[in-house]
Amino acid sequence: MISENKKFPKRKFIKFTLIFSVLLIFMLVGTFFMLNQEKKIDYSADVKPIINKKCISCHGGVKKKAGFSLLFESEALSPTESGKPAIIPFHADSSEFIKRLLVHDVEERMPYHEAPLSMDEINIFRKWINQGAKFSMHWAYQTIENPTVPSFGIFSIFNEKKNNDIDAFIDEKLNHIGLSRSEQADKQSLLRRVSLDLIGMPANETLSTSFLNNSSSKAYDILIDSLLSSNAYGEKWAGMWMDIARYADTKGYERDGGRSIWRYRDWLIKSFNKDLPYNKFLTEQIAGDLLPNPSDDQYIATAFHRNTMTNDEGGTDNEEYRTAAIIDRVNTTWQTLLGTSFACVQCHSHPYDPFKHEEYYNFMAYFNNSRDEDTYNDYPLLREFKNNSKLKFDSLINWLGIYTDKNSLNYYKTMIKTSEPTINSLVADSMVNAALADTKFLAMRKSSWARIKSVSLSGKKILLIRYYAGTKNGKLNIHLNDAKSNPFLKIDIPATKGWNIISLPIKEMNGVYNIVFHYENQLLKSKDDTGITFDWIALADTFPGENDNKRSYFQDMYFNLLNSPEADYTPIMMDNPTDMYRKTHVFERGNWLLKTKEVHTGIPAIFNPDKNLEKNRLGLAKWLIDKKNPLTSRTMVNRVWEQLFGQGLVETLEDLGSQGASPTHKELLDHLSYKFMNDFNWSVKKLLSYIVHSSTYMQSTKASKKMMEKDALNKYYARSPRLRLSAEQIRDQALAVCGKLNSTMYGPSVKPYQPEGIWASPYDGEKWIQSSSENFYRRALYTYWKRTSPYPSMVNFDGSAREVCVARRIRTNTPLQALTILNDSTYWDLSFQYAKTLYPKNNEEKSIMLAYKKATGKEISKDALQTMKTLYEKTYAKLNKDPNISMEMIAMKANKQNNSLAALTVVINSILNLDEVITKS
Amino acid sequence: MDHQNKIFQEAKMSELEFQTRRHFLKDCRTGIGMMALGGLLGGCDFLGMSNKNELATNPLLPKIPHFPGKAKSVIFLHMAGAPSQLEMFDYKPELQKMDGMDCPDSFIQGKKFAFIRGVPKLLGPQTNFNQYGESGLWLSDNIPHFRKVVDDVTILKAVNTDQFNHAPAQLLMHTGTARLGRPSMGSWVTYGLGSENNNLPGFVVLTSGGKNPDAGKSVWGSGFLPSVYQGVQCRSEGDPVLFLKDPKGFDRDLRRASIDAINKVNEFSYQEYNDPEIMSRISQYEMAYKMQVAVPDVMNINDEPQYIHDLYGTSPGETSFANNALLARKLVEKGVRFVQLFDWGWDSHGTDPGTALDKGFIDKCHTTDKVVSALLMDLKQRGLLDETLVVWGGEFGRTPMQENRDGKQNTYKGRDHHAEAFCMWMAGGGIKGGFSYGETDPIGYNAIEGKVSVYDIQATILNQLGFNHEKLTYQFQGREFRLTDLYGKVIDPIIA
Repeated sequence: MISENKKFPKRKFIKFTLIFSVLLIFMLVGTFFMLNQEKKIDYSADVKPIINKKCISCHGGVKKKAGFSLLFESEALSPTESGKPAIIPFHADSSEFIKRLLVHDVEERMPYHEAPLSMDEINIFRKWINQGAKFSMHWAYQTIENPTVPSFGIFSIFNEKKNNDIDAFIDEKLNHIGLSRSEQADKQSLLRRVSLDLIGMPANETLSTSFLNNSSSKAYDILIDSLLSSNAYGEKWAGMWMDIARYADTKGYERDGGRSIWRYRDWLIKSFNKDLPYNKFLTEQIAGDLLPNPSDDQYIATAFHRNTMTNDEGGTDNEEYRTAAIIDRVNTTWQTLLGTSFACVQCHSHPYDPFKHEEYYNFMAYFNNSRDEDTYNDYPLLREFKNNSKLKFDSLINWLGIYTDKNSLNYYKTMIKTSEPTINSLVADSMVNAALADTKFLAMRKSSWARIKSVSLSGKKILLIRYYAGTKNGKLNIHLNDAKSNPFLKIDIPATKGWNIISLPIKEMNGVYNIVFHYENQLLKSKDDTGITFDWIALADTFPGENDNKRSYFQDMYFNLLNSPEADYTPIMMDNPTDMYRKTHVFERGNWLLKTKEVHTGIPAIFNPDKNLEKNRLGLAKWLIDKKNPLTSRTMVNRVWEQLFGQGLVETLEDLGSQGASPTHKELLDHLSYKFMNDFNWSVKKLLSYIVHSSTYMQSTKASKKMMEKDALNKYYARSPRLRLSAEQIRDQALAVCGKLNSTMYGPSVKPYQPEGIWASPYDGEKWIQSSSENFYRRALYTYWKRTSPYPSMVNFDGSAREVCVARRIRTNTPLQALTILNDSTYWDLSFQYAKTLYPKNNEEKSIMLAYKKATGKEISKDALQTMKTLYEKTYAKLNKDPNISMEMIAMKANKQNNSLAALTVVINSILNLDEVITKS
Repeated sequence: MDHQNKIFQEAKMSELEFQTRRHFLKDCRTGIGMMALGGLLGGCDFLGMSNKNELATNPLLPKIPHFPGKAKSVIFLHMAGAPSQLEMFDYKPELQKMDGMDCPDSFIQGKKFAFIRGVPKLLGPQTNFNQYGESGLWLSDNIPHFRKVVDDVTILKAVNTDQFNHAPAQLLMHTGTARLGRPSMGSWVTYGLGSENNNLPGFVVLTSGGKNPDAGKSVWGSGFLPSVYQGVQCRSEGDPVLFLKDPKGFDRDLRRASIDAINKVNEFSYQEYNDPEIMSRISQYEMAYKMQVAVPDVMNINDEPQYIHDLYGTSPGETSFANNALLARKLVEKGVRFVQLFDWGWDSHGTDPGTALDKGFIDKCHTTDKVVSALLMDLKQRGLLDETLVVWGGEFGRTPMQENRDGKQNTYKGRDHHAEAFCMWMAGGGIKGGFSYGETDPIGYNAIEGKVSVYDIQATILNQLGFNHEKLTYQFQGREFRLTDLYGKVIDPIIA
């Protein structure tokens, strides 16, 4: 430069200097201007967090002190009680909102009687108002766009291998904190990790060997595909979903009796295994019953929301617990499928997020028209016919097909398969000398009256009654509306053997009537003796085929199937027909007894839902799976990420809203969510395969000092996380490692070993009767789950009672966990069984090496082997000294070989306890 | 070996830092967060713990409450099924006069009962009452032993609940809501205070009467709090704590050897991965080893002197309320924060002799009366009553009317569930002695003075432990949850 300058003539040089100076001035001015120009304030990122922390508890969805609320834009900019708005866009200094943050008088200054805001915070508010006080929607409520994948161009400082775009998003953040990704984990570790993640236990011998011996670049792809197509995959992911669905084998509350809902668990396994796209997976669970011509499977899918609890305790109000179940469905739907804490909207508008009180009840209306009424039998139930009943069903439907149109045939199909629509007797009221026996069934005594309110008789020609009569010669008179009117029907009631169905022709009537039962029976000794118990009544059209000589044969078959078929029963969702429609009201402050305004189905306004959606659960399902729904895909992707990495991209799986944790990698979440819906067509397998193929996933878990300093909690994934296995994985892995796993799938839940005296529910003779020995070794998800007394060893590892949905389990590390694997007979028995297969075929040392390898997937280190050998020797020496010990330990007489076996059992049990074994690494 | 020790110590220190940070970060959101650190650095005397670092690995590390509490621990004696206040503490001579008369309409109009239908008859007290102690409080003949301790207790005569079914009412009493899913009182306390004794659980549950409470294990569950805060059920028969006992043939040496081996290999893993959770796991195995001695030791009542057995009426080896009460004393002596006893079988409907007020109910009174007074006397003689809050009660009370199940007169004298007013009592832990608070109307139906809610009971218990019940909170589902939900007021008049 200098030498070139020399060549310039002086004048030119002056000119150049001048131009240069002008340029410089421009640049300086420009810089000055740029520096002075206010940074654009982002409402969601900058303003909303301060509001949530400092203002919203008094000026939000719950309290609106001085008539001022910051929750909704419209509210924030409207006049307050003072008559003027507190925020005047573009005029921060004339906004009362800002003034009140600055005054010195503590009675005036906001936050009221709290520390003042910092100047930084006030300046954010000030700038935000001066820029127009624009509200924007929290990120999670904005439609999912496909974000640009970060690119580092040729200047990339990253030399790490990127397998797919996930790595680019991860690298971008790591770059900011000055870390970089770790090298790839060794093959053995990777094999164990991805097997535990995808199928919930170690891969089998064949698969493992073929992966480890395959040095081609395709080896990992083949492994992933094999794991994803193994049956065990569905079991692992069904197990995860069972927490969300609050699946249990009992009804909950007091006597906590059994419930047969395992077919839903099986449906989950099958659905995951056949990779039912997530949009269909949700639709069937939310509204399978409302799909055209629903299959048994689609009905069973709706058991998702029949996992709510039923209260059988005598004296409880069925309507109260029905309402509790409906509310649980609303909350579970939001918390688990939509990652939003909606429960607070039950009592008032959401304190932080833009949901109005009434919108809760609009949403509840989707669920409130369901048939279930906290009945003892968990009605409605789907019956899956077996044996003879199945044949009968098929032939009856064939025959009915001749005489009925499509609608009518559907009615019969539904009625036979579900016994609905019927009116449960527990809705009876105005009882005289009648009662709801144990608050479950209407029971009528010697001379008694009871009423069923508001029954539509329009177009109905027969009355069906399912009842049980213990005494013959009963007389049942049925009146309409007025108990003193002439009986509408008079029926003789003979004694029955168990439940019976009668069909009574009725006069054609139009309109809605109260049906009054009057029962008399002179044979009953005391006026307090019960003569007849009702299950349900139903109103229907006449049985078809009047001129067919087989009509009575088929009608008998119909009642027989309706009454007591050979079938498996599963609680399902069904809606009331139009003439039994249930109204929904807003509950004042969430109290179900204080019903106010009537409301109809609807999705919260901020989601701007399609107006043409059906006004039932099917409409709800369609909204859920609409690609414009900002929450569904994000929630599932976040959950899948959590399953693999131990924490979500948003830590609070249950709340992506403004009060939940901030996302660590928002763009990555959106990238995956977008891909999940569009590129993968909602295929969970494809999503999983994509993630486990990333270099991020495949990293080593070793933490350097630098990593511990900069990111101890591993939120940025410079290494793969080490995670303690879940309760289910710990059991399944031990079964697999010890070679005892019974891989039988499906069927009623089983009862493996459980210590004595764990179940002790009142009024319930149910006992934990251990399953047959082969069922001892089934995978954890088949273990019988009793809500008030869940399987203890699983609870010790953070399993939940599943009373309500568990959106995420919090991992703990406790001495009870140590005691469980050390002493639970299950693990001790497995250790012994395994020892027997290892020894004496192999010597002690070899046995230890093999056991360690099987449990961790890795060769044992010299030091670890030495440690375990020392344990073996100490134990063996002890056993040799005292011959009784072997006898006690493994119930075998003391000799050298058995002593070795016992000592080896101790070592194997210790191996099962190792951190390397109960941790995914 | 020296080298290895050094690595181990270093690792422990780094883990301590990590855990401290983690606790601090986590608890910041809970409102008592700062105190976690205070407790950690405050030099608490750690019973039997030589290595201070160990406390850092324990989420149950002792914490300081909001203010110095008068009580260090709580023993909650829950008579599951709900005993009749009208045959124990709430003397109603007027009701006696009206025995057999139809219940006035005003009491039943618009009311719902669990089993009473139509118009029931009033039922006078099925026993005699007299005044006892210097305080002259009224006690029934069913509880003669209680006379000896009546001057140590405050009887709350007008407790009110809004649930009249067992499971929901028990849930309300212990978790602050009638539905399943919230943390229990003991979990909240353990979450707030940690445990003073690392070798024992911080929250212990003992049951008697042959059944679990109606609400199941949820009444000692941890709800949405981490499961480490849930109550640990200890048993007199079988394993005192599940999985505590080693497999047959094991002795201490062998268990020591196996835990040493496990921990040693885990140390190798730590060197490889630098993962602080591994150090935490090592500590948990150490604690497990200590618990194996500490729990059976505290659960063993064989070594108690004869006069103690005579006092309580205990016989070692069986599951009884008496044994449980003695265990409760031993547990609080060892620093356990919350001991919850459930005694099942108090549901005196009068449907059979076992639930008749003049039969089964009296038996229940007799099997517990001596025990309860023994517990109070025993705590007192050890100087423990001042710092131990003892709470007694059911989930609700019983109706002044005789039950007529489903509209039929019951065969035996019994009462239905009653939510409007019932009796509980508290003793020790800074509560007045010989005091009665609250009053019901002449038939014992409604509270007319000093009415307190279940939330008030909870607020008072927390207050005695040093907590502002409104500030012992946990962030969940987007909001701060607390035991008392949105309610509760400390019952000041009963505080000494």
